[in-house]
Amino acid sequence: MDMIRSADPNRAQALPDARPDSIDGPAVRAYLGRIDRLIRRHRAYLTGLDAVLGDGDHGDNMAIGFRAVSEVIQDLPPNATPGVVIRAAGHRLVAAVGGASGPLYGTAFIAAGHVAGDAGVVGLETLASMLDSAATALARRGRCAVGDKTILDALRPAADAFAAAASNGSPLEGCLAVAVTAARDGMLSTRPLIARRGLALRMGTRSIGHLDPGAVSCYLLIRAMIPGK
Amino acid sequence: MSDREELRDRIAALESDRRQIVEEAQREADAMFAQYQLSQLLATGAGLQELAGMVLVELMRLAEASSGAIWFQGTTADRLRLVASLGPLANDEELGQASSVPAIAEVCTPARGWTVLGLGDEPPLGVLAVAPEGGALDSEGLRVIQLSRHELAVAFRSAQLREMLDRERQELTAIVEGATDAIVQVDELGRFLRLNPAAEQLIARAGAEAVGRRCADVFDCARLGVHDPSGCPFLEVVATGEPITDRTLDVRDATGRPKRLAGSFAATPPEPGSATRFTAILRDMSAVKALDELREGFVATVSHELRTPLALIRGYTETLLHLDLDPETRRDYTQRILDTTGRLGTLVTEILDIAQLNANPVVLERVPVRFESLVARLRGDLAMTGSDDRLAVSLSRNLPLVEVDSTRIGQVLENLVMNALKYSPADRLVTLGASVESAWLVVTIEDEGIGVPEDDRQLVLEPFHRARNVRESAMPGTGLGLYIARRLVEAHHGELRVSDRADGRPGTRVTFSLPLQRSGRAARERGSAAASSAAASSTADAASAGSDGRPPFATGTRHD
Repeated sequence: MDMIRSADPNRAQALPDARPDSIDGPAVRAYLGRIDRLIRRHRAYLTGLDAVLGDGDHGDNMAIGFRAVSEVIQDLPPNATPGVVIRAAGHRLVAAVGGASGPLYGTAFIAAGHVAGDAGVVGLETLASMLDSAATALARRGRCAVGDKTILDALRPAADAFAAAASNGSPLEGCLAVAVTAARDGMLSTRPLIARRGLALRMGTRSIGHLDPGAVSCYLLIRAMIPGK
Repeated sequence: MSDREELRDRIAALESDRRQIVEEAQREADAMFAQYQLSQLLATGAGLQELAGMVLVELMRLAEASSGAIWFQGTTADRLRLVASLGPLANDEELGQASSVPAIAEVCTPARGWTVLGLGDEPPLGVLAVAPEGGALDSEGLRVIQLSRHELAVAFRSAQLREMLDRERQELTAIVEGATDAIVQVDELGRFLRLNPAAEQLIARAGAEAVGRRCADVFDCARLGVHDPSGCPFLEVVATGEPITDRTLDVRDATGRPKRLAGSFAATPPEPGSATRFTAILRDMSAVKALDELREGFVATVSHELRTPLALIRGYTETLLHLDLDPETRRDYTQRILDTTGRLGTLVTEILDIAQLNANPVVLERVPVRFESLVARLRGDLAMTGSDDRLAVSLSRNLPLVEVDSTRIGQVLENLVMNALKYSPADRLVTLGASVESAWLVVTIEDEGIGVPEDDRQLVLEPFHRARNVRESAMPGTGLGLYIARRLVEAHHGELRVSDRADGRPGTRVTFSLPLQRSGRAARERGSAAASSAAASSTADAASAGSDGRPPFATGTRHD
C-alpha cells in the first residue's frame, strides 16, 4: 500500500498539522469530537426536520449516539489506529442510536474502518476508498439509491467528489472542500424529492419540499471532516 | 504436495471460510435491518389501506420487484380484498377481481413473472404478489418477507380492527350526540365525566362547565333535599353494582328550575386500567309532571268549585224547607241561592269554553269591528252592576277597524276588566287603553290592585293557576279566566301578557294585541306613516314593535 505514514502516530494533532495529506488516530478522534459538537449544535433543527418526515427524534438520537461515541473512544488506547477508532465508533453508533440512522451510520463507519485496516496513518487514496466503502455499505444496508431522499443523497456525491479530487492530485484540504460542497448540494437536492425509504414513506408526495433529516446530518458529518469547523 | 503448499491451501481455505462467514454475517445484518425498518412502518398506526400502500413499497424494494399487490381479508367475509397495488403488471381491475388464494394464483402466474406469498398462517389472512421487471427477484429480500409474514398479517389485522373501532366509535358518538334523551356518565364519586348535548340542555349548563363537578352539586340535590345521599341512584349503583332500570328523581337545573327526570342507571364495564363509569339515560319528565299536576288540579278544582256552591244551595234550600223563616230572610236566602247558581253557571260556561278552545282549530267569526263599539258594549254591561263609574277609558283617536270575533273579544275585554275591578280596591279606577302599534291594535288594562307576583305572571295564563297572593286572599275564582282570555287572543294571532303598570305604581297591567283589518291597515299606512311610527315610539314596547307581522311585544313563538 502506498500510504503516507506519519512519523509519530501518537501525536494528537488535527489534520493540517499532521503529515500533509494523511491522517492518524488522534486526527480521527478529533474529527469525532467535532461531529459530537456540531450535532449537538444542530440537534433541535434535525429533530424538527424529522418531526415533519419521520418520528421526530433524529437530532436527539444523533446527539445521544455521538456523545456515546466520544465516551467510548476515550477508553481506547492513545495509539489506537484510525481503523480501530472508526470501527469502535461504528459499533457504538449501531448500539446507541435509536431509529434507522444508528445502524446505517454505524454500518458506514464500520465499513470505512475495515478499509483503513490496521494502518497507523491513512492517506488520500485510502480516505477516498473509505468514503466510497461507507457509501456502498450504507446503500446496501438501507437498500437505497441516490434520489430516495436519504443519507445517501449527501454521502454518495461527497465520496465521489473526494475520490475524483484525490485522483486529480488535489491535496487533502482541496479534496475535503469539494466533498463538503458535494454533500451540501446532495443534501439540498433532497428537498424536492419524494421519500421512498423509511417512515417518510407514509408522507408520500407530502414529503416534497422538506429536507431529509438524514441527508442534513450526513452533511454535518462530512463538514466536520474539515478541522476548525 | 509439499508442507508449504499444504499450508498455503489451508490458509486459502481459511480465508475463504472467513469471507463466507463475513458475508453471512452481513446478510444477517441486512435482513435484521430490513425487518427492523419494516416493523417501524408497521408500527405507524395507519389505517389498513394506507399501511398496505406504504408496506407494499417497502416489500417491493426488498424483493427488488417492479410490480406488487397485497390482498387482505375483510373483517367479516373470508374473501380477500385487493388493498394495495403498484407497478406496470398490477392491473387493478384484474387483480381486484381475484378474491381467493387460487384465484390470485390464477392471475399472478409464475409464467407472467409473479411470485405469490401468503401472509399469516394457513389459510392466509392476506396475500402478497410481487413481480420483477426483466431480471429476477432478490431471494434475500424474499427471505426477509417470509420471515416477516406473520408480523405483516398481524399488523394488517390490527390496522383493520383499529379502523373498525374508529368507525364504531364515531357511530356511537353520533348516536349519543344526537340522542334526545340525556346521557350522562359519572365516575364512582359521582363526578361528571361526559354529557351529551341533550344532557347539557337538560341541566342548562355547558358540558365543559359540568365535567369534573359532582352531579349532586350540579343538580343541587342537597339543597333540594330530594334524596339523601343513600337515595342517589348513581351511588346506589356504585354500591350494589346492580343497574336501575327505571327511577324518577326531582332535581334543579343550573337556572334553579325544578326538573323531574326519569331514566335508567347502570355501571359501564371498566376498561382495563381505568375505573368503573356509571351511565344514566334520562328523560325530562317535567312537562309530563306539569301535565299531571294540571289534570289533578283541574279535577280537584272543578269538583271543589262545583261542590262548594252545591253545598250552599243545599244548605239554603234545606233551611227554607224545614224552618219557618220571616219573609225577609226567605228573600235573602232565595237571593243567595240565585247568586250561587249564577256562579255555578259561570263555572260551567268557562269549563265548556275551555273544552271548545281545545278543539282545534278554534272557530272564529271574524268581522271588521270598531274597537270603540266593543268598549261601549262593555260599559253598558258594567252599568247594570253599577261599576261602570270605576272604568276610565282612554282610546287613541280614529282607531282603525279590527277583524275579530266580536263576541270572543268582548268576552276577553269583560273578563280582563272584571278581573281588574275584582282584585283592586272599590275606590280605585281601572284604566282601559288602546292604541295602534305597527300592524297591531294594542289594548291595555291597568289596575291599582294587589298585582301579580313576578313568578306567577306566566303561570296565571295557564288553566286553574291562581297567583299566590290571590290564593291567600279569600277572593273566589276558578283560575280559568286569564287562561281563556289568552287562548282567545292567541286564536286571533295576538298575544297576551301580564306585567307591571307602566307608571311603576303597585297594580297590574294586562296587555293584549289584535291584528288590524287589512284594508284599515293599508289605509292607515297610506295616511300617516309618520304618525304611526310616532305612536309606536311613544310606548315602552316600541323596541320590539315589528313590521314582520308579529305582535309588537311578541317575545316567543307561541302564536306562530
